[in-house]
Amino acid sequence: MAEIVLSHRAALAGVATGRFGAAFDSSRSLTLTALPEGHVLHLLAAPGAVPHAGAITAAGGGTLRAYAPGQWFVVGDERLTASQKAEIAGRLAGVADVVDTSHGRVRMALSGAAVERVLAKGTAVDLAPSAFPVGRSATTLVGHISVQITRTGEQSFELMVLRGFAESLWDELIGMAREFGVEAVGPA
Amino acid sequence: MASLITCPHCGPRPKEEFSIRSDASLTRPAPDADAETWHAYVYLRDNSRGRHREYWHHAAGCRRWLVVERDTQTHVVHSVTDAADATRTRGAA
Ligand SMILES: [Zn+2]
Repeated sequence: MAEIVLSHRAALAGVATGRFGAAFDSSRSLTLTALPEGHVLHLLAAPGAVPHAGAITAAGGGTLRAYAPGQWFVVGDERLTASQKAEIAGRLAGVADVVDTSHGRVRMALSGAAVERVLAKGTAVDLAPSAFPVGRSATTLVGHISVQITRTGEQSFELMVLRGFAESLWDELIGMAREFGVEAVGPA
Repeated sequence: MASLITCPHCGPRPKEEFSIRSDASLTRPAPDADAETWHAYVYLRDNSRGRHREYWHHAAGCRRWLVVERDTQTHVVHSVTDAADATRTRGAA
């Protein structure tokens, strides 16, 4: 029987890259970056149970992000081996079930001084730092696409989207950021 | 994005993030209820003016089913509850 070799192709391979819109000015322009397709684990917790972030990072997992009542995502840039995933699942036994959805969701980063103004064109969620501090996540519509938004810094957000919507969201974000100037950096 | 629904889990969100299922005040008949009872349950609605209890799904957010109590005449939203909590409360009453 012929051996089947799967080759990985980044969801954002071939998207538009470079500078768009207003002349790039680092004091106001945006940077859109494709993030590595590392890992995205979906945690479904037992009623009332809360997974412990430390137990996940100790096993090689990334950061814990709230998704919905009793549900979280663990995301990171590194690809996890089967044994690392098994170790994370083991440490969360009795707390949450772990489903590997690394193949199904894609992350991108948007940063710059005007980042809140750009995202506000797409979502009604209050993104002011007082209401949406670093580390906070929200799942919301950006235009017509359901996206999990996380604030990763004072002027930076991460957006996670179902794989099939990644290119559309990419193009939409470039359009939304044009008035401030945007540099789009595709997958490494 | 005019109408805001305050999801108990996500906070105020535009109605575009939700999909509406139906009247939340109906009680499913017993499996062996007669055809007329089933017909009324499936097809007949009052379309009343005033307070309504409906199932809403936060499809583009937390994906929880909610019970929204709103006024069809004034558009005032009186309450939004997680459907599981609403069922528990009603079961206990
Ligand atoms: Zn919600």
